[in-house]
Amino acid sequence: MKRKFGSRQILLLLLIVIVALLPLYVQSTYTITICIMTFYMASASLAWSVLGGLTGQISLGHAAFMGLGAYISTLLLVNFNVSPWISILIVFVVVGAITALLLSPCFGLRGPYFTLVTIAFGETFRNLFTNWEYAGKGKGILLPYGEDDFGLMRFSDKQSYFYLGLGMVVLIYIIVKMIDKSKLGYGLKTVREDEDTANAIGINPWKYKVIATFISCGLMAVCGVFYANYYRFIDPEIMIQTQSVEYLMPAVIGGIGSVTGPLLGAVIITPLSQFLNATLSSIAAGSNLVIYAVILIVVILFQPRGIMGWFNGSKLKAKIDKVFDSIDGKLFSKK
Amino acid sequence: MGNILEIKNLSKNFKGLKAVSNVSFSVEEGKITGLIGSNGAGKTTLFNMISGVFPPTEGNVIYKGTDITGMKPYKYSGLGIARTFQIMKPLAHMTVLDNVASGALYGKKKIGSLKHAKEYAEEILEFTGLYEKKDWLPGNMGTAYKKRLEVARALATNPDLLLLDEVMAGLNPTETDEAIELFRKINSNGTTILLIEHVMRAVANLCEKVVVMHHGEMITEGTPQEVMNDPYVIEIYLGKEEESDG
Repeated sequence: MKRKFGSRQILLLLLIVIVALLPLYVQSTYTITICIMTFYMASASLAWSVLGGLTGQISLGHAAFMGLGAYISTLLLVNFNVSPWISILIVFVVVGAITALLLSPCFGLRGPYFTLVTIAFGETFRNLFTNWEYAGKGKGILLPYGEDDFGLMRFSDKQSYFYLGLGMVVLIYIIVKMIDKSKLGYGLKTVREDEDTANAIGINPWKYKVIATFISCGLMAVCGVFYANYYRFIDPEIMIQTQSVEYLMPAVIGGIGSVTGPLLGAVIITPLSQFLNATLSSIAAGSNLVIYAVILIVVILFQPRGIMGWFNGSKLKAKIDKVFDSIDGKLFSKK
Repeated sequence: MGNILEIKNLSKNFKGLKAVSNVSFSVEEGKITGLIGSNGAGKTTLFNMISGVFPPTEGNVIYKGTDITGMKPYKYSGLGIARTFQIMKPLAHMTVLDNVASGALYGKKKIGSLKHAKEYAEEILEFTGLYEKKDWLPGNMGTAYKKRLEVARALATNPDLLLLDEVMAGLNPTETDEAIELFRKINSNGTTILLIEHVMRAVANLCEKVVVMHHGEMITEGTPQEVMNDPYVIEIYLGKEEESDG
């Protein structure tokens, strides 16, 4: 039996501590910026994976749901002076409820048809905000600048956002991991694998898709609050469908259906795409995108379950598991 | 003992095609009942109506004295009706243990904690002879094991009535004998079984009552001996003597 708390968890904690100490040693703003982007992409991809990975409903509208969170929190801040910290809870519930309500008639659609609907919803929201006077139309909204204020989630230094982002990714990772290991997670995964089987063992697929949408889009909106307060400027372009593809990319590379997958994918792909952009685009514009695309094609062709999909079935994992178990055995044997 | 399931004048039309027409029979509690018939006789359609996949065009399904016709498919396992699929539907990216644990978490058993569900699933795997394969992915196992997994997952929901759709098709004689023994064990634990089967040896061996279907209609019912000596059944299975000129 695996322990609830063992050497694996200790290693994970150690990893978080090492990352948390990074700003003390690394002075380069560029590196810190890339770290923040990685945290953000990992959080968004984890949020996406609740619906796309665990439940198997591939959404290409999540950029719009992130944008909804960003817009709602920004409008509340600008017009009613509501602290973004409170907005986190508000957008989770409001965006979760709106998306669950909007998508609930579409859960009878399977596979690509559901995906098409999410694209349509995403683009509808983008057009709505492009033409909505109250939300600043196409020119977007600038968040007020001023002195550092923790309550308003406003900082002039990157370090603060670094810790904010790290906190967000750790929190979302724990939430998704807990769902994955819960009864709810088994329900979601059964729906993903086969809806007829789900029905046959007493799982209502429609209900579980609604729950997954609520959590996934709600968490996505929380990422939107971070996005708005970090960049301090939002416009309808953040809702564009190509951006949704960006959010599912870490999950695809890291491994759809595994909780660690999106995290690992983001850690690999975000710095890589930044590096390619910085080095190659000056030589031949667009060549960084070509390499990015080639990597993606290779992964989808040769390892459609991503890095974690390969790792979970590999001998390497069996070996690592053995090491961890033996350490656990030594550490906790006295009890 | 009384009847756990009563099928009354059940019919199903698919846009004018009569897949099942006016079938009535009953399943006695605690017994094993067989449903046989050639391909396209409407057996699986009948199963799908009993387990709620299709609502019937006409007729009623009475389970434990209650009319359950046309209920939503996910409600059946909670009542104690579990089924397997003719075309196996394992949860492909989950281990054998997780497949069975899913059944234990939902269904009639409805175990609240994952830990207990896994323990119960291990018991079921032991019972069905799959314990050694518990960490395998279903796709890496042979047909015989996949069929067992279908049964194990259905069994984990703790059913009173188990519907088995051709779980012995594609098995070799040794595997068939093992399966027959497994179903006897399940039945002796108090689970009523209704099975669709082509393997006559298994039907003759297991069933106390056999219902024969042909072209969507019920032809006859009785003990395996009675049914197999019925001239009409022989005609359907082997053809008439004067017509078998080739």
